[in-house]
Amino acid sequence: MAAVLRFLIAVLLFSSIASASLSQEEEEEFSEELLLKPLADRKVLAHFHFESKAPPTRTYGHHHRLFPKALYQLVQKFRIREMELSFTQGRWNYERWGGFDPISSSNAKPPGVELWAVFDVPHDLVDASWKNLTHTLSGLFCASINFLESSTAYSAPDWGFQPFSGSLRYGSLPREAVCTENLTPWLKLLPCRDKAGLAALMDRPSIYRGFYHSQRLRLSSTEFGSTELESGIALDQTLTVVLQPTTSQRASMTYSSDSVLQPSWSLSSIFGRKVSGRCVLAKSSNVYVQVERGLVSELKNLHAEDEGSGAGNVTFEKTWNNPGFELSIAPNRVIKEVNILHDETSIVLYEYLIDNYSNSEPFDLGFTWKFPVVWSSPQAPLHASRFLMGSGNERGAIAISLKATEPSDGLWVADTIENSCMLRFNVFQVVPWYVRVYFHTLQVFVDGKPQSVTDFIERMRISPSEDKVSPGVMEMALKLPCCVKSVTLTLEFDKGFLHIDEYPPDANQGFDIPSAVISFPDFHASMHFLKDDSLNKSPLLSKFQEKSPVLCYTEVLLVPLTTPDFSMPYNVITITCTVFALYFGSLLNVLRRRVGEEERFLKRKDSKKTGRLGQLLSKLFAKLRGKSWEPTQTQSASSSLISSKLIFKVILVAGIAAGWQYYSG
Amino acid sequence: MKKLTKHPVCGTCSDSNYTVSVTVDSGSGCARNYNAESTCMWRCGAIGEFDLGGGGDDDGVDEFLGSVLGSCEGFRKVYSVVVVNRGGEVRAVVGKYRHAWIIGGVLEEGMNAMVARVAETFVKVFVNGGKEEGSIHGEFMPVGADGRIVLSFNLLNADPTDWIYGWDFQRIDEILLAPVIKALGPVANISVESQVLYHTPKSSFSYWDEKWDSYIFSTKDLPFFVNSNEWHLDTSIAAGGRSKILQFVVYIPSAKECPLLLQLPNGEISVTNAFISPMWGGVAVWNPPGCSRDSESKHPARHTISPQDLQKVFEIFMGQLRQLFGLKSDSLYAGASGTTNLLASERGFTEWELDVLSRQHTCFNLVSCATTLGSLSRLVQSLPRMIIMDEIGKQVKFSLEAAKLTQSNASLGIYDASAVSSRQARSLAEDAFFHPSIMSVSYYSFEHCFAVYSPFFLPVSMHVLLAAFREWRRYKQETAKYLAWKKKAKVAAS
Repeated sequence: MAAVLRFLIAVLLFSSIASASLSQEEEEEFSEELLLKPLADRKVLAHFHFESKAPPTRTYGHHHRLFPKALYQLVQKFRIREMELSFTQGRWNYERWGGFDPISSSNAKPPGVELWAVFDVPHDLVDASWKNLTHTLSGLFCASINFLESSTAYSAPDWGFQPFSGSLRYGSLPREAVCTENLTPWLKLLPCRDKAGLAALMDRPSIYRGFYHSQRLRLSSTEFGSTELESGIALDQTLTVVLQPTTSQRASMTYSSDSVLQPSWSLSSIFGRKVSGRCVLAKSSNVYVQVERGLVSELKNLHAEDEGSGAGNVTFEKTWNNPGFELSIAPNRVIKEVNILHDETSIVLYEYLIDNYSNSEPFDLGFTWKFPVVWSSPQAPLHASRFLMGSGNERGAIAISLKATEPSDGLWVADTIENSCMLRFNVFQVVPWYVRVYFHTLQVFVDGKPQSVTDFIERMRISPSEDKVSPGVMEMALKLPCCVKSVTLTLEFDKGFLHIDEYPPDANQGFDIPSAVISFPDFHASMHFLKDDSLNKSPLLSKFQEKSPVLCYTEVLLVPLTTPDFSMPYNVITITCTVFALYFGSLLNVLRRRVGEEERFLKRKDSKKTGRLGQLLSKLFAKLRGKSWEPTQTQSASSSLISSKLIFKVILVAGIAAGWQYYSG
Repeated sequence: MKKLTKHPVCGTCSDSNYTVSVTVDSGSGCARNYNAESTCMWRCGAIGEFDLGGGGDDDGVDEFLGSVLGSCEGFRKVYSVVVVNRGGEVRAVVGKYRHAWIIGGVLEEGMNAMVARVAETFVKVFVNGGKEEGSIHGEFMPVGADGRIVLSFNLLNADPTDWIYGWDFQRIDEILLAPVIKALGPVANISVESQVLYHTPKSSFSYWDEKWDSYIFSTKDLPFFVNSNEWHLDTSIAAGGRSKILQFVVYIPSAKECPLLLQLPNGEISVTNAFISPMWGGVAVWNPPGCSRDSESKHPARHTISPQDLQKVFEIFMGQLRQLFGLKSDSLYAGASGTTNLLASERGFTEWELDVLSRQHTCFNLVSCATTLGSLSRLVQSLPRMIIMDEIGKQVKFSLEAAKLTQSNASLGIYDASAVSSRQARSLAEDAFFHPSIMSVSYYSFEHCFAVYSPFFLPVSMHVLLAAFREWRRYKQETAKYLAWKKKAKVAAS
C-alpha cells in the first residue's frame, strides 16, 4: 500500500507545483485592531475589531487555514448571505457617547441578543432555515438563541429595518443575560483566541465591569452567486466596551473653572493587562486613539489661548503632546479626517503598530489629561426615547418620542435640500402578540399638537399580531419638516392573557417589548480620509469609511401583564375537594343517623348525669378559671353535652390541621 | 490445479449457506467436483495465457487473475484461491480483489498441508479480515447511528510564534482521500473537513533524552497528550446530530520541545510517531525539518508542509483509519501454516476487506438495533404510565422490517443492500429511542397524585372512620343491651 501511495504523492507533488501560481492571488486574511476613544462623560470606549476573510469556495475550496471552520460550515449549510448576531449588556448612551458616528450606528445594539439573517434560499424555506440557524447558533454560543425559533419571536421586516431585505428574518431576546460563556466561543473563532495579540487584553472581570458591553459577529458572503463580484466570506467580530477609568489622586484636583480634570488612563489601568505583541497570524495589528471633533475644537481653542494667537493651528493635529492631553508613546502615524464641511476641526486618529512590541517590551499606551476639557459628542438628528403610558393591567399605550437635537456645527443640515428641508426617518418596531396593539389608534403629535397621520407618514407597513402565532410588526417611513422640534407617536394596546404554560420563569417581573429601531436613511455616519493605500489596508478604517445609515435603538419596555397566582390550580383543587368532602360528610351523617333511636338516647341522657369525660373537662376548665368546681346541675346537662361535642370537634380539627401541617411540611 | 469457491455469510456468525467448488485444471482438461452454473467457474486453460508468478510481479498477477475471475462477479460474492504447482519456494499472496494465489512446490509439502493453507486463507483472511485475536473488538465500528462518518483533519501549531505551518489539504482531499471515501461508500457515508489551529500546546510534558538527542514522550503519558482545553476540535456543524466524528490530528511541537518523539512501552521509539485512540481518532506528531527557528525575528514566516512529509503523515492516518475499522495496517499475515502477503489497494481498502467490513457493519448494526429496541421495550415496561406516541410504534415496526430485510439480504450474499438496510434499521431504532416525546417523559408521579387527591380523601376518610367508629360503639352498646335483656329474659324464664 505504501508503494502505491508514494507513487500517488509524486502526482500530487507535480500538480501542487502547477497550481502554486494560481493560489497566490487569493488568500485568507485576518486582522486585529483596537480603537480607544475618550468619551465626554469621563469614560473610555474600547472597540476591538477582528476581521477574517475567506476567498470564494469556487476558486479556493473548502479548506481554510484561518477562517473558522464552524462559521464556514454555517454559511454553507444555511446558505446565509448576511447575518449579524450581537450580545449586549447595558444601554448605549446616545446623548453622551454620540449618536452620529460609525461606532454608534453599527455597534450600539439593543440589550440582550439581537439576530438578523438574510438567506439565499427560496421563500418558502426561509423560515425553516431560520429555525435551524437559531438552534445551531445557540449551541455555538452557549445562549438561548433557540427561543427565537418560535414564530412568535421573530419577524420578517420588509424595508423598515434594512432597505434591501427580501428573505430577512429579525429577532431579539431583550432579557438574555450576557456573560463570559458567550465570549469564550466567540473568541474561539479567532485564530489566536485570547492567547496572543490584542484579544489578550480581554480580561473578563475588567470587560464585564464596564457600563456597556456589546459583542457582535457579522457575516457576509457572496458564495451563492447572486452578484457577479465574488469576494467570498467576510467575518467581522467586534467587541465594544465602555469602561470607567479608575480616578487617581491627580484627577480630583479642581481647576479654577470649576470643572474637574478627566481621569487619565492607560491600557494596563483599564484592562489590567498589556499587549505583548501581535497575533502572528494577523495581517495587521493596530491600535488607534480617536479624538472626537468636539474635543479637537476645544483643544484648538485651548491651544490658541496658550499661544496667544492662532499661529499654532497648523501644527496642532500633528502633536500628541498638547495642552489638553498627552499620550505616553509617540504614535506611528497621525491620521486626520478630511471633511469638506468642517475643514477647521476634524477627527484625529493616532495610529500605533503593534508589530514593534514584544513580550519583553509590552505595549502599554497611557493617556494623561493635563487640562479639564468639556465637549459634546455628535448627535443623531433626532433623539429617540420610548415609554409606556396608562395604568392598570388592562390597557396602555406605547409612545415613541423623538426630539430634535441641536444640529451641532451644521452637521446634517447640508444633507437636506435648501427650501423644502425635510427630515426622513424610518421606525421599525416588533411587538409581541400578548401586547395587542391597535394600529388604528396611531396618533402623531408634532411639537405637542395632534396632527393628521397622513401628513407625516410617507408609507407604512403593518402586519398585525396573531395570537400565539406571530408578533405585530410596524414599519413606518416618516417625513418631517426640519423646523419641527419634537414628534411623538402613540399607539394604544390591550394586554392579552397567556396560558399558564406560556409564562416564563419570574413572570412577575414583567414582559419586555424589544427595542424599536429608528433609522435615518438620508444620513450616513461615515468618516472620510485622504485616499491612501495604507488606509485601505486597515479594515477598521475602511469600515468607518463605508456609508452606513445612522441607526439608533430605543429603550426596551417592560410591560407588567396580569400574572396569575401560579399556585392557583392547587388552591382550586383544595377548595373543591373541601367542598366535596363537606358534602360527602354531611350526606354520610344523614344516612347513618337513626332519628328515633337518638331521640330516645337523648331522653335517657336527660335523666342521667353527664358523662365522665364531660365531668373531667368541666373540672379542668373550672381549675383554669380559678373557681371551685361544682357539679353541674341536671338542667344544664344538655348544654354540657353540646360543649363536650364542640370540644371534641375542635380537637379533631386541630389534629387534622396538625397532621396536614406535618404532611405538607 | 485447484480452485475453491465459497460463499460465506455474515462473518463469523455464519450458517452453512455457502458452496465450495473445486476445479482441477491440468492444461489439457478440467475436472470439477460438481456441475454448477458455469459462469462462476474457472475457465479451463486460462492459466496458460499468462506466465503466472514468473517475474514476481504480484500486481500483474493480481490484475490477470482479476480479469480471469472477474467475469463471475455478480449476484453472489465468489472468493477464489488459485494454487499453482510448479516447484520452488512456496509463496502465498492475497490480491486486491477477491482472490489469492499460492505458487510453488505445493505438492511437495503434502496435500493436507496445502488444503489446510487454502482453508486458512478462506477462513482467516477472506472471512475474518486477517485480524489477530485480541485486536480491537471487531464488531465495534466507528460509524454513526445515521451511517455517517466525519473525518476531521486538524493541523495543530503548538506555538505559532516559533513557526507557522500550513498544508495543502485541498490536494490531499482530492487525490488521497477521495478514492478511500468512494471505496468505503457501502459501509458509511464519509465527509471530510479540515482546519488549522494555533496556540494549542499538549497538556503533558516531555523530557530531554541525550541518547535519542530529542524530547521523548512516554507511552504512559499518552492519555494526557490530547489537551481538550486548548484543542478546540469542534464538533462539526455540517454533520448531523448522530454522525460519528473521527479526529485526525497532526501535532507540530513548539521549538522548546522540537524533535518530539513518542516512546513505545518497550523503550523503543515509535516509527510512525503517532497513536490512535479507539472511537476518537488518531494523533501524529510531525517535527519540522531541522527544528530550527526561522530567525530571531518576531514574525515567523508561513511554511507549508512538504508534499513528501504530508504524504507520510497521511499514510499513517490511512493506517490509523484501517486500525480504527479493525483491520491490520501491515501487509503481512502470519497464519498457522506460513505467512501470506497481502497486496494493498491504492484505495486503502481492498475488495475483500470491504466485504469483511460491510459484513461486520451489518452485524454491528443489527446487534445495536436489537439492543436499542430491547432497552426501549424495557423502558416502556418499567414506566407503564408513560405516554408512547403511535409514531414510535411505527418506527419500531419499520426498524424490525428493515432488520428482517437485512438478514435475508445477508444470507443471499448481497452485502451492499444488507448494509444499507441494516443502517436503516439501526437509525430507525435510534429515532424511536430518542423520540422527543420520550425525552420529555411526562408521566404522572405518585407524589403528585397524592398531593392532588389527599385534600379530598383525607377529610372524607375522617368522616367514614368516625361513622364506622360510632357504628361499632352503637353495635357494642346494643349487643350489651341485648345480652343483658337476654339474660334477664333467661332469668325471667327460669
